[in-house]
Amino acid sequence: MQGTAVKKGNSPPRVFKSVITATFKEHMAYRSRMAVSVFAQPVYFLVNYFIWQAIFQIRDTVSGFTFGQMLSYFAVSSLVGFLNWDDSGNVLPMLVQTGGFITFQLRPVSHIYYSFFQKVGHRIMAFLIEMLPVVCFYIMLGINLVPAEPFWVLISLFLSFVLSFLINYTIGTFAFWFVRTDGVRRAVYLFTSICSGAFLPLNLFPYSFQKLFFTCRFSLLHMYP
Amino acid sequence: MTGENSETRTRNIRFSAAGVYIQGVKTALASRMAYRGDFIMSMLIMMIVEFGGPVITLIIYNNGASFPGWNQYEVLLLQGIFLLSRGIAFPFFMGIVWNTIGRVREGTFDLLLIKPRSILLMTVVTGFDSEDLGKLIGGILVFRYALKNLPVQPASHWVSFLILFVFSLILMFAFALFMAGLGIVWVGNYRIYDIFMSVIDFGLYPKSIFTKTFQSILTYIIPVSLLASYPASALLGDLDQSVFMALLSSVVFLLLGFMFYFKMVRNYTSAGG
Repeated sequence: MQGTAVKKGNSPPRVFKSVITATFKEHMAYRSRMAVSVFAQPVYFLVNYFIWQAIFQIRDTVSGFTFGQMLSYFAVSSLVGFLNWDDSGNVLPMLVQTGGFITFQLRPVSHIYYSFFQKVGHRIMAFLIEMLPVVCFYIMLGINLVPAEPFWVLISLFLSFVLSFLINYTIGTFAFWFVRTDGVRRAVYLFTSICSGAFLPLNLFPYSFQKLFFTCRFSLLHMYP
Repeated sequence: MTGENSETRTRNIRFSAAGVYIQGVKTALASRMAYRGDFIMSMLIMMIVEFGGPVITLIIYNNGASFPGWNQYEVLLLQGIFLLSRGIAFPFFMGIVWNTIGRVREGTFDLLLIKPRSILLMTVVTGFDSEDLGKLIGGILVFRYALKNLPVQPASHWVSFLILFVFSLILMFAFALFMAGLGIVWVGNYRIYDIFMSVIDFGLYPKSIFTKTFQSILTYIIPVSLLASYPASALLGDLDQSVFMALLSSVVFLLLGFMFYFKMVRNYTSAGG
């Protein structure tokens, strides 16, 4: 750990705590940007609410989902999306393009760990500014957010948090070859979003697609939590 | 003398608003071509992303569910029109938003203010987004697919559709003005797009699925229904009288957009802000 995460002379917990705190403070200055979600997410949700309300007017279930379950799925999926949101696939190419990455070679911290703990700090702030108000909105709408298996939910949330970071960071490393990676990033984002069930529950897709999606394991990002 | 006139005419064309715009498009394409592979992939992804809404519709209908009063291809037609409108707006003039936000943040918005052209024209010209042409191709494909599976429509339906489609673009431009204006005072906030995208999401589905209150809001206050629902109804010959109020509302929306944008430009304080 000492050799890979932090270079000599700095204890890892202290450095990582500092990165989390610094990121939290830095982004707190731009908290209004994050607060946009407090408006945008309920509007997105309302659109989904009306779509499924219209569909469930003529049916009781769709692929085994009731209306309430479908709404819960979209609500939980959006919250998992907030928790997992990751910018490392964008920041790393930017550092490569501007030459800023060189400075990380001189710092006594490994960039991948630095980037991960930046995400931790950023998401702690997102939890307070984005997630809590949106959770309140869902509760007001009467959406059931109580997990059936709290322990497994926590485990799957932790795994999806780490996995989303690793996927994004890996895409970011393409910048060492291609410099600009917007296209690759968008392609992977689209693929993982579909395969993870971010747009629709995977059960709604045709059986052959479901087999492919569950084999890819991206369902750990959205569907499983 | 004739040679001089011809030279003056060429010069006038080149420095007209259209001429300046074409130069902007050429420059944007040339600079994006420095990374051709990334450009082509981005455009392709933009196109595929556009299929998201229609694919969800297909999945819903394949599961035996439906939107009341609309068959699968009618909904796809509506979504095709929506994507077509977005496909024209995003590459050709919606770039004004990210261009304004980026320039205000960097401080280069001042450079546009000192150009001998309207600030609005300059932000549109320098904001041409070539990647978003993928959205246009996606929109054309969905529109074409839906049309092929619907009965042939009479010319009168096409005329009313085209008129409403122009208003759909006018509405998009009005949204762009509001967002660009916000981008001047809300420095560096690209998430303004999220607000816009969430609101126009209502336009991707038939108006009739929303409650009466929402239908009124989407027709008279923020006429999002004009983006696709009304043009699709016009093409299918199922237009109602409320369209006139929606048209009036879109014109008011555009005028308010202009007023808001130029007020924000006047309030721009550059680095002193």
